[in-house]
Amino acid sequence: MARSVIDPVTRIEGHLRVEVEVQDNKVVDAWVSGTLYRGMETVMLDRSPEDAFYVTQRICGVCPISHSHASAQATEDALGIEIPEGGRLVRNLLEAAQFLHSHILWFYHLAALDYVNPINALSADIADTYALAQAAGTRPADFGAVAARLAAFAENGQLSIFTGHYWDHPGYVLPPELDLIATAHYLEALEVQAVANEIVAIIAGKFSHPMTSVPGGTAFVPTVDKLDDILYRFVRVKEFIDTALIPDTLAIAPFILDATTYGGGTGNFLSWGVFEAADRDPVNRFLPRGFGRGLSLEDVSPDDVTEYVEHSWYESGTGLNPKDGETKVKFTEYNTEDKYSYGKAVRCKEESTESGPLARMVVAYLHEKGGKDLTGGAAGVRTPAALIDSTLEALDVAGKPEVLVSLLGRVAARNLEAAYVADLALVWVNELVEAMKGTDLSFWKAAEKNTGDGVGAWEAPRGSVAHWIGIKGGKIDHYQVVAPTTWDIAPRDASGTPGPMEQALIGAPIADAEKPLEALRIAHSFDP
Amino acid sequence: MAQEAHGAIYDLLAVRGVSRRDFMKYCGYVAAMLGLTEAAAPQIAAAVEKGAKLKPALWLNGGSCSGCTESIAQVDSPDVATIVLELLSLNYFETIMAAAGEYAEKNVDDTIEAGNYLLIYEGAVMMGEDGNTLLINGHKGKDILEKAAAGAQAILAVGACAVDGGWVYAHPNPAGGIGVQSFLDSVKVATPVVNLPCCPTSPEWVVAMVVQWLLVAEDDPATFLDKTALLAKNYRDNYRDADVTLLYPEYIVGSTIHDNCPRRGHFENGEFVTEFGSPEEAMGYCLYKVGCKGPQTYTQCPITRWNRSVSWCVQSGAPCIGCGGLNWVDNNAPFFKRLSSMRMGNTLGNVQPGSVGAVVGGVAAAALVAHGLGMKAAGRIGDGPPMEDMKVHDRKRMKKGGDK
Repeated sequence: MARSVIDPVTRIEGHLRVEVEVQDNKVVDAWVSGTLYRGMETVMLDRSPEDAFYVTQRICGVCPISHSHASAQATEDALGIEIPEGGRLVRNLLEAAQFLHSHILWFYHLAALDYVNPINALSADIADTYALAQAAGTRPADFGAVAARLAAFAENGQLSIFTGHYWDHPGYVLPPELDLIATAHYLEALEVQAVANEIVAIIAGKFSHPMTSVPGGTAFVPTVDKLDDILYRFVRVKEFIDTALIPDTLAIAPFILDATTYGGGTGNFLSWGVFEAADRDPVNRFLPRGFGRGLSLEDVSPDDVTEYVEHSWYESGTGLNPKDGETKVKFTEYNTEDKYSYGKAVRCKEESTESGPLARMVVAYLHEKGGKDLTGGAAGVRTPAALIDSTLEALDVAGKPEVLVSLLGRVAARNLEAAYVADLALVWVNELVEAMKGTDLSFWKAAEKNTGDGVGAWEAPRGSVAHWIGIKGGKIDHYQVVAPTTWDIAPRDASGTPGPMEQALIGAPIADAEKPLEALRIAHSFDP
Repeated sequence: MAQEAHGAIYDLLAVRGVSRRDFMKYCGYVAAMLGLTEAAAPQIAAAVEKGAKLKPALWLNGGSCSGCTESIAQVDSPDVATIVLELLSLNYFETIMAAAGEYAEKNVDDTIEAGNYLLIYEGAVMMGEDGNTLLINGHKGKDILEKAAAGAQAILAVGACAVDGGWVYAHPNPAGGIGVQSFLDSVKVATPVVNLPCCPTSPEWVVAMVVQWLLVAEDDPATFLDKTALLAKNYRDNYRDADVTLLYPEYIVGSTIHDNCPRRGHFENGEFVTEFGSPEEAMGYCLYKVGCKGPQTYTQCPITRWNRSVSWCVQSGAPCIGCGGLNWVDNNAPFFKRLSSMRMGNTLGNVQPGSVGAVVGGVAAAALVAHGLGMKAAGRIGDGPPMEDMKVHDRKRMKKGGDK
């Protein structure tokens, strides 16, 4: 019996600690701790609703757009504003650009180094690398130049960001040629994620921390020229997803098929829904709202949320819905038997619930199998169910969606979601171009009252985000946020039930307790 | 001479597909950022070339959102700029480094022990709950900073949170976020700190200051401050109840956003956006009437712009919220209103005058007042953006008799 600790968990946004108890090379218990408290909800009190839009997005520098949209929606809900059609279309494009940026960055720059060893790529045969790329249907690059670049880097002896990792771990099983392909795409993806964020900058001024989706709609008024600038960037990003992200995922998967046998977690899935449809019904969003109890679909509402603090460093009331929630921080000590995290134990329908791409794709899959059309009426859009079914087939597990509830399933779901969103983004740009030919397209609407309570429940690339606001006489008198990662890194609740990442860790194999690579993979699979 | 310089750097650049011409062009760009003439480009190239080994650096995250890390990932001309960054051995960079856990911590310890490194700090220094609001493997975030700062040759405090606590410092937050300089004053660490403003900070500014450090580090790191064109700003840190002097690169904070704004012509013509999403928005009219903080915010955002120069806040249609100013949330919110009252606390950084006209100096102020008055007389803009009421926080604290 040994405790193995990863602190800091790197390649994430924020500060996270993972502690696991290992027995006979298997995780038998796990504790996940958020180790930073910044107090956003307290800062919001007595300020104006638009201030919440600008400031609360600063919770996360990787998913600020989703926070800003949830905050704006909370205010719009509270003050009875339905944003105009132009605002809806612009926000969907902005959100899509962030999703694509985030998923590409996550796979290549945050997660890939758990599987890909760039040092091992040095021994790749260049001709074999081209042959493998062709066989895998993945994007060629100047593999010789990349290898030379790596060699120059390695010869210098200073490995910079690659210094001191578990590179000799037996879990690094890819052939050097595949390591080289993935490393070449790691470098190209640095460029592509920046292109996706140029779309964000055109619409919202800059990334991170966007400026324009203010409560009421958007301050960005598109022109045909600007939409042209946006369209060609989406085309470029989509091309990379189709020719690198998806084929790379399928090329790496056969080497890590054991990752379909662990890392699944709670099997409860939440999606608030994201990418607003014309009818504004969250159940009809392009990634629809729903709760998956395993593979069975249920309705869900923000009223189903409760937060517990028995194991969290707060002295607030426990078991509260965020509309009545409070945040009174009180650090005691780190103790896995008692309190051990700044994360509250958030629960949906009283269940420990996963959120994120796997949850959204499962919920969308179940909606589609129930007859919902998610193409938005456009030809050529690859929907979640189509993408999932074809991937299951490629991995020889056709008709077994339950395989998704695993470490590998979570990795694949994120990349498949990127393909769906990229298809939709092109449709939406053209839809906006068409809509601008009319004369009545508007983008922003003023509030007609200054008091009310509201909630904005939306999705960030990494998970479900909701903001609850109370406004009295134009000033905020209540603000609560359940951030995306709060769901997945939740600690134990009042009944002692572990959170989703904790449950995903329990049962995982650990080859070397000194170098818990498998635990790192599971943590990263949630994109915390 | 430097133009003939060849060696490790050019070999390195060659395998990365960067021509010497591109590299020299880039050095000229960096020279401009540093307030030097392009004639300094060869010296910059020479300084970069001199190092046979990569200079070590640590990038530590305090109470951050990783937004400044994201920002650096959006750096312009990455084929060239990241080369210069790659000339650093970033032995610890939490968001992108391979290593985790004790392996990652060891990278910090080894770098500190070897010395001669640059420290880049992102996020607020977390003081709340006796410093326990940020813990990394049981160590308080502020203690890690103190140790790393003491051994560094120089420190870049990147982004509003590292400058003065940013939004985390905003009243009445118990989390206790303060800036790097203020914290180092309190623990008497005298390592030079250069502050890079905005939320997030600009990747180009970070690169420029990294190059500046490379320029001087080989000769004499102790001259870093002397050889860099800097401006000092004073403010009062109400959390510590102490006066703090911050150093910023002059080129970055030397003029207001309003001075360099492409919409300035519309301001002069009295052409304003009065409603978001309006046709005036599409025509690029001035955003002053919807609360733009450009006239009182001293950064070069309109020149550098963001995301490889494709746009910036005002260009996209949003009023500036003044995230490059000190204590920007308390001072600038409500963002859609003109600021009417002075925040409590006798601090230069916190001064918000009764009218926008008073904050800009000389000719610009005269122009603002003249235009404001003239247009008001003509009935064209009324009183400008609505004035905010007294801030609720200030009113509450006045009742209590101030902060203490």
